[in-house]
Amino acid sequence: MAEEQKQQSQAPSGAPRRDGPGGHGGGHGPGGAHGGPRREGGPGGPGGPGGRPRGKRQYFRKKKVCKFCVEKMDFIDYKRADILSQFVQERGKILPRRMTGVCSRHQRWLGVAIKRARNIALMPFAGSAAGTHAPRQVVPAGAHPPATPTAAPHVSPAVPAAPAATEAPKA
Amino acid sequence: MEERLYDLIFIVRPATPEDEIKKVLSGIEHTCAEKGGKIEKTEHWGTRKLAYRVAKHREGIYVYQQIRTAHHELIAELERRLRVQDVVIKYLTVRLDEDLKRQKKLVQKREQRTARRPRRATAAPAAPAAPAPEQAAAS
Repeated sequence: MAEEQKQQSQAPSGAPRRDGPGGHGGGHGPGGAHGGPRREGGPGGPGGPGGRPRGKRQYFRKKKVCKFCVEKMDFIDYKRADILSQFVQERGKILPRRMTGVCSRHQRWLGVAIKRARNIALMPFAGSAAGTHAPRQVVPAGAHPPATPTAAPHVSPAVPAAPAATEAPKA
Repeated sequence: MEERLYDLIFIVRPATPEDEIKKVLSGIEHTCAEKGGKIEKTEHWGTRKLAYRVAKHREGIYVYQQIRTAHHELIAELERRLRVQDVVIKYLTVRLDEDLKRQKKLVQKREQRTARRPRRATAAPAAPAAPAPEQAAAS
């Protein structure tokens, strides 16, 4: 049991891609798409597009815009797990509005959509994201050299062969 | 009674042969025909990884259907049949028509809003032009 938990906790660190919107990256993931509005707002300030590094700039908060409003989505489809997964943590928790900048109306619909998707196993319930996948995929990774397992668990089985091949000439 | 649109998704065991899936589908078709429903769409999503373990499986074959019916008993019957079947490990029915109605309404609203703005500009010069001929005709 303890070993399993260890594996689970290690797995996310080895998967930066999945980590994107979730975990500590919380607000930055989805917000990253809205670099535009921030730069537009910039010229008003002293920094502007020139981007002179100042101490004050550190505390500048970019304005988050609701992604669904920008794309004018009137209906959030629970079947599109790829969209929904941008708004949950890696373990499957729904991210709060203050992190993602989603407007209240869309957050309401989003919650319903995520809960529907959970019911049909398209999305994980909280706490089972890495847990279900890690044990199964670690086994084939064990056959590879010890350098790969950090990257292997979340990549498709065909891919780990490539890093192994590139590492071989180096050694 | 108005017709309602439902989503029906079910997951069958990953090692199920095609024939078994076809059997399930034909069963659904049969009940639909019996109770007065129409299958609008059928999609095979193929084998997908499940987000969590279901009946000790980590993968499953997804089948998606859209059903339009005015009889809610049909949905209850379909769910009962899916529950009984051994190959089906999970299913979900969702009523969609109200969401779609809301979506339609919002789209309409937006279109009106965007249409109103330019129309106002064109309506203003048109309005004074219209009464002018009437006045001319009256005098």
